[in-house]
Amino acid sequence: MTILKDVLAELFGMFVADARLTAAILALVAISAVLIEGIGVSPLTGGLFLLVGCLLVLIGAVVRFAHAKAHK
Amino acid sequence: MDWTTAAPAIGSAFLASIVEIVEAFTIILAVATLRGWRPAVFGTAAALAILGAIVLALGPLLDRVPLHVLQLVIGVLLLLFGIGWLRKAALRSAGVIALHDEDATFAAETAQLGAETARRKTSLDWIAGITAFKAVLLEGLEVVFIVIAVGAGRGLLWPASLGALAACALVLLVGAIVHKPMSQVPENTLKFGVGVMLSAFGVFWTGEGLGVEWPGADLALFVLAALFLGAGLLAASLARNVTKGVAQ
Repeated sequence: MTILKDVLAELFGMFVADARLTAAILALVAISAVLIEGIGVSPLTGGLFLLVGCLLVLIGAVVRFAHAKAHK
Repeated sequence: MDWTTAAPAIGSAFLASIVEIVEAFTIILAVATLRGWRPAVFGTAAALAILGAIVLALGPLLDRVPLHVLQLVIGVLLLLFGIGWLRKAALRSAGVIALHDEDATFAAETAQLGAETARRKTSLDWIAGITAFKAVLLEGLEVVFIVIAVGAGRGLLWPASLGALAACALVLLVGAIVHKPMSQVPENTLKFGVGVMLSAFGVFWTGEGLGVEWPGADLALFVLAALFLGAGLLAASLARNVTKGVAQ
């Protein structure tokens, strides 16, 4: 049972290392999908939105963590 | 086989596998040093058998999933996994969190294994075998995911698997020669590189799953990777400045 628990924890940790980062990426994908499928924005524009969003989310997540760690 | 997609897929599987296998090898070596190679090899073989069964079970299932759905699901998982790796590598590179230390892991694992065997008073070989089994299973799960994720979207499962197997062979060969934890491997640089590639694949597959036709087709992967590399380096630099600013 311990091994199964460890496996599940490993799988969870693989995709949810930082809950806010995970939520932000999922939100970006959802908004991109709505832009392309719902509003009818060109797929390439939706893709570029996803790309730029992911780059900004990455930078934001790193800086936010560094701030939090530095002020502890 | 189109090498513009195959090369990044094989390269990502190879580099990611090196990182994970080095981590698993450190624990296997701790087990072997404490209790001999027999439990270490048994534990490793059992974990590899389970990982192989997972791949064999998932392979035919993936063939039944429509390509766009597969690309979207795997793309999103790759984004979560890849950007998570890149975030951690950038923080390590900036000195915000400590670098992974294989020598320290080896010492801690050896001490923990010794303490556990003394406490439980059960068969020492059994506990040692389970330790090796868990290490290979947990690190191997990430390798399996990466191989499937970078390979499934374009029918590159076999080339990606070969990349992972080549990494496995290389680590075992070097490990057999040096016979100590591989602390000289530039692990964070590798993780940074793999995080960049997985994130690039993530945006690429997710976009394709949503109907995006990237300019330059598969060549767009290299542009996406360059952008993620730049963002990762910028993030590390900003994090370093934050740390320095607070310290002053």
